[in-house]
Amino acid sequence: MSEFKIHHHVSELMNQLGIRSSDSIGEEVYTERLLKNTTPYITTQTKEFLAKNAIDQAKTAGMTTLSVQHDKILAQIPESGTKMTAQELSEIKDRLLKEANAVSATTMTDFVRKALKEKEQKQNLNIPLQPDWLFQRPSLTLDFMVGVDGPTDQNIVALGTLPVALQENAVADDLLCCMQGIEGKYILARALTERYAPKEFMIDQSLDPSLHELVRRILPLCSNYSTVVRFIEEKSAFEYGLVNHALSAAMRSLIKDYMVLVAQLEHQYRVGQLSLQKMWFYLQPTMRTLDILASIANSINRGECIGGAVLSLLHEKTSNLIGDAKSQELCLYLTQSHYTICRERIPVFLEQVADKILNTGKYLNVVRLCGRDVNCPHAADMVYTLKERRYYDQIEQAYDYASKLLLELLMREKELMARIRSIKHYFLLDKGDFIVQFMDMTEEEMRQNMDDILSLRTSTANVDPFKDDLKVDLLPFDLITQLFRILTIDTKQEKDYRVDPTDLHLSGLESFSFDYVVKWPVSLVVNRKALTRYQMLFRHLFYCKHVERQLCSVWVGNKVAKTYSLQKSRWYSAAFALRQRMLNFVQNFEYYMMFEVIEPNWHLFQQNMDTVSNVDDVLVYHTDFLNSCLKDCMLTNPDLLKIVHKLMMVCVTFSNFVQRLNKSTILEAEVTRLTKESTLQAPGPQPLGKEEQKKKAAATKVVSEHVDQLVSSETFERTITNFDTNFSKLLLELLDKILDMSSNNYDQRLSNIIYRLDFNGFYTERLEEVTAQRHASTMSTSADLSNQAVHDAGGFHSWMASYTATQRPDSAHATPSALRSTMSTSAK
Amino acid sequence: MPREIITLQLGQCGNQIGMEFWKQLCLEHGISPEGILEEFATEGTDRKDVFFYQADDEHYIPRSVLLDLEPRVINSIMNSPYANLYNPENIYLSKHGGGAGNNWASGYSQAERLYDEIFDIIDREADGSDSLEGFVICHSIAGGTGSGMGSYILERLNDRFPKKLIQTYSVFPNVDEISDVVVQPYNSLLTLTRLTQNADCVVVLDNTALNRIAADRLHIETPTFAQVNQLVSTVMSTSTTTLRYPGYMNNDLIGLIASLIPTPRLHFLMTGYTPLTTDSQVANVRKTTVLDVMRRLLQPKNMMVSTPVHRQANHCYISILNIIQGEVDPTQVHKSLQRIRERKLAQFIPWGPASIQVALSRKSPYVQTSHRVSGLMLANHTSISHLFERILRQYDKLRKREAFMDQFKKENIFRENLDEFDNCRETVQHLVDEYQAATRRDYLSWGTQQAPSADRI
Repeated sequence: MSEFKIHHHVSELMNQLGIRSSDSIGEEVYTERLLKNTTPYITTQTKEFLAKNAIDQAKTAGMTTLSVQHDKILAQIPESGTKMTAQELSEIKDRLLKEANAVSATTMTDFVRKALKEKEQKQNLNIPLQPDWLFQRPSLTLDFMVGVDGPTDQNIVALGTLPVALQENAVADDLLCCMQGIEGKYILARALTERYAPKEFMIDQSLDPSLHELVRRILPLCSNYSTVVRFIEEKSAFEYGLVNHALSAAMRSLIKDYMVLVAQLEHQYRVGQLSLQKMWFYLQPTMRTLDILASIANSINRGECIGGAVLSLLHEKTSNLIGDAKSQELCLYLTQSHYTICRERIPVFLEQVADKILNTGKYLNVVRLCGRDVNCPHAADMVYTLKERRYYDQIEQAYDYASKLLLELLMREKELMARIRSIKHYFLLDKGDFIVQFMDMTEEEMRQNMDDILSLRTSTANVDPFKDDLKVDLLPFDLITQLFRILTIDTKQEKDYRVDPTDLHLSGLESFSFDYVVKWPVSLVVNRKALTRYQMLFRHLFYCKHVERQLCSVWVGNKVAKTYSLQKSRWYSAAFALRQRMLNFVQNFEYYMMFEVIEPNWHLFQQNMDTVSNVDDVLVYHTDFLNSCLKDCMLTNPDLLKIVHKLMMVCVTFSNFVQRLNKSTILEAEVTRLTKESTLQAPGPQPLGKEEQKKKAAATKVVSEHVDQLVSSETFERTITNFDTNFSKLLLELLDKILDMSSNNYDQRLSNIIYRLDFNGFYTERLEEVTAQRHASTMSTSADLSNQAVHDAGGFHSWMASYTATQRPDSAHATPSALRSTMSTSAK
Repeated sequence: MPREIITLQLGQCGNQIGMEFWKQLCLEHGISPEGILEEFATEGTDRKDVFFYQADDEHYIPRSVLLDLEPRVINSIMNSPYANLYNPENIYLSKHGGGAGNNWASGYSQAERLYDEIFDIIDREADGSDSLEGFVICHSIAGGTGSGMGSYILERLNDRFPKKLIQTYSVFPNVDEISDVVVQPYNSLLTLTRLTQNADCVVVLDNTALNRIAADRLHIETPTFAQVNQLVSTVMSTSTTTLRYPGYMNNDLIGLIASLIPTPRLHFLMTGYTPLTTDSQVANVRKTTVLDVMRRLLQPKNMMVSTPVHRQANHCYISILNIIQGEVDPTQVHKSLQRIRERKLAQFIPWGPASIQVALSRKSPYVQTSHRVSGLMLANHTSISHLFERILRQYDKLRKREAFMDQFKKENIFRENLDEFDNCRETVQHLVDEYQAATRRDYLSWGTQQAPSADRI
């Protein structure tokens, strides 16, 4: 903007404000200040707006003598001729700016629209831009344009001076104008005080009182019209969503009817047949209509409703208007139109079906997002009725259709089952060779600290179309911590399990986990929650596999013992027996988890999936599957898990111990052998004669003697005994706990593990001892309890009940049967 | 990077059962006799690379070494449709082709002389695998090549690959018929010693039992070699099925073996298979549930080892692994185990935990069977010592008369004295004693107090 223009504006402004520009210096100062005070960047715009709005404001002020703003501004502006200080000037400027903002806020001028535009851009980048001209042309509205047209210089005489008939004629003309959002001569619109405020009007005070009263009654119609029109214009923007668009469209068509009415009235007026009374009569129904529309618009504006909320609101309004047939009809009209338009975001009308409708919409949306054309056959039938039954049926139908469609999409195109199966391969170790191979490849790296492992990429020999989706993940916490963290949420025992993360020195093995890339829309089913469950199962199984592997390598390391002379190798038997018991435990534990927990649950899941009819059921079944796996693998019971983990630790420590021992003996053996060979001087290139045999036998003897020495030493024996005691104690503790739980919880599956581990009754005797001990202590405590409290049989049962109750979070779905069994026991 | 297994087929018997084994594997994996993957098998989810590798031209080639000292059996293989299956470099035939004359010592000495050539092949195969798990040796213990050469190779393999597993499928001689190999007891004793000291796992295939099974269970009056060998190949292929059709568990050989063999010396496994049918036989209509299969597996008549008295009071299972194939509901397994435990159908060791491990395995989709469920049992049972005692008795009889010693004395190992025989007898006797001790509660402290005395037998 050129300096000249600023000059022009300033002078105009001063003119408008009634400051006679006799003092040209004042004007100069103004301009200078304006030029100086503004930063270069926003100079032009701000100043322009400033000036423009000030002018607008001034104009309005000039016309309406009562204008508050005008007064305020006038009060701020010093008398002409006085010199303005810089401070005063900036004060004026601020005020002007404020006023300008207020004005722009009400009339949706560029400022607000721009701000709105920016906001919407920030909120959602996907929303297409509105063309600029939409914002630049303020006259693109059906609403009142306050103060846009210049003050009419026509000789407006005060109405009071005219005869009543003429007064009526003039006011009717004005009213007709106002009904279309145009200011009249004697009825003027006030600027809005806020964005959604109702329009207010000023009527020439000199109007005949009876006419004035009539006009005052009709004017709310104009005000409502303004509200509705503003609503329509605003809500047609992209960001308000389909429902609002639909509502606006419906309103717009009503406004069209209204306009027709106004045109008809005008015709009557022109013919000279329209008295104010007649007009009042004709307008009656329309007034009601617009009143409702405006109230709807206001509610929506206030609640900032979008989508379903809008519809809920409409529904509420409709129900409120029961008894007022006409208005109900109107609301129905509004709603009806959405139904045909808004299939995708089906309304939340009633709580009961809300989720369903939401899901229907979601499903259809998913399907559409996947690039499929949706042609919902039920959608067209959706006519709003107040009869909820019919309504439910339709929603039900639409829902069924939508979920079936999505299910089909997931199952056929996205191969959901194949994916879950592939996840099962990796996470539940269904294809064990993969994990064997994986461990072979990564053994070295796994031993390292977590930070040292950069990245592991693996390809498998498995023929799996989704193998590329597998990722390797190293989590910063070990399984136990992870589980306890999750568990503590339920049990509120956080303090017990809180682990200081700095204390954790995780090896790759402990922090290792797979991750899996799940693409939309499969991620609907295989979501993060499910993946976490898979991960937990995986880590549990993976660790078991690792322990098994360690014990197997102990076996390989010890196999050489069979060539030792008989008596010597006997020393090893304690270690062998212990290793066997450990291996027996680990393998049976794995068997139990894999073949008695995961596999049967998987079968069940697959059966369910064969009959599944919608995606929700898929989710439920899948979650059920994972939950029961977690539960039966003891991952939901911190006590059991702790023991299992300790047992595994004992096994690992033991195998490390034995392997270290082996390494040293083998090294010794090599040395011995080499020295023997060098001293005996092997006979030439044909070394494997009888001599060699003898030498070998001698070497073996030396080794076995060495081993004998080593293992017969007290430390070895004591260490093995220690391991043995530890292991036995923990194992018995575990078995006892399981026994206890299975008898209290009526949970059959866990007790299977006892069957497996104690198949030949090896542990039975000792287990009975432990159980007896526990019983003794339990009996004494429960006896105390019953002594203290109730003496009748209820005491024990209430104790039982509370016990079951505390167990419930772990076994939510098993509760009904568990409770039933408790009941039946109580009944006995 | 699979856990590869290299198969060594030694001697007449070893090559015969080996050939049947590869035939069966080819069928199960959909590989044609020429080593080409059949059209229908290209989408398979099986693991072929444990036992096969792929040549440059996509041929599947068995990781197998064929060794013999006389050409008859290998020639018959080379004239069969499977001639092109094997890597010709892996076939070694002794140049003079005279065989070992059913003499252990001759086989042993010849193998010693052929050491370089044989181990060139084995080393090459071992180098060709990424993470070799171990070796499987097929042989008989009674002949000359399989026993003598087998013994030698066992010893050397143990030296060269101390960390690799050595599993053998060892055919024990038929005691029901009079053998034409008179020195059979000598051969058996000498081989058995090596099997005790140098093999990690010996799957005992008792010809006596196999022939009886063929006659009694399959109603074949005079079973041919081929028919008996088919039984063997069924056992061999089924026992490797968890390696080839991976499932949750037992996907490496060590995992299978380690739980079966608690103490290193007691590593002789019996096998049982049910239901047994032959090609020609129309499958009798029988119920095959998991319980039926598991119950039948515990019946002595289905065992492929002939132990004279069944279910003796003191003999017991050290461990059992049942590999169940077919349509199995996993919940049935638990029920079956419960039933077996309640009925006390199996007697277990008193000195440690022992149970029936069950591995559920897939079946090859390309081989049609008439029964829903089939099962193989691998069992470590103390009564196997009867087999060794029988060998000891027969040996003692011959040894007392110093019969047929001349042939042995010709060879290096017996030239100076017959100490080797005495040492071997002692080793086998110890083995028998240990098996007996394993039936008792105090087994773990056995041998620590004093040397076992012979009067126990």
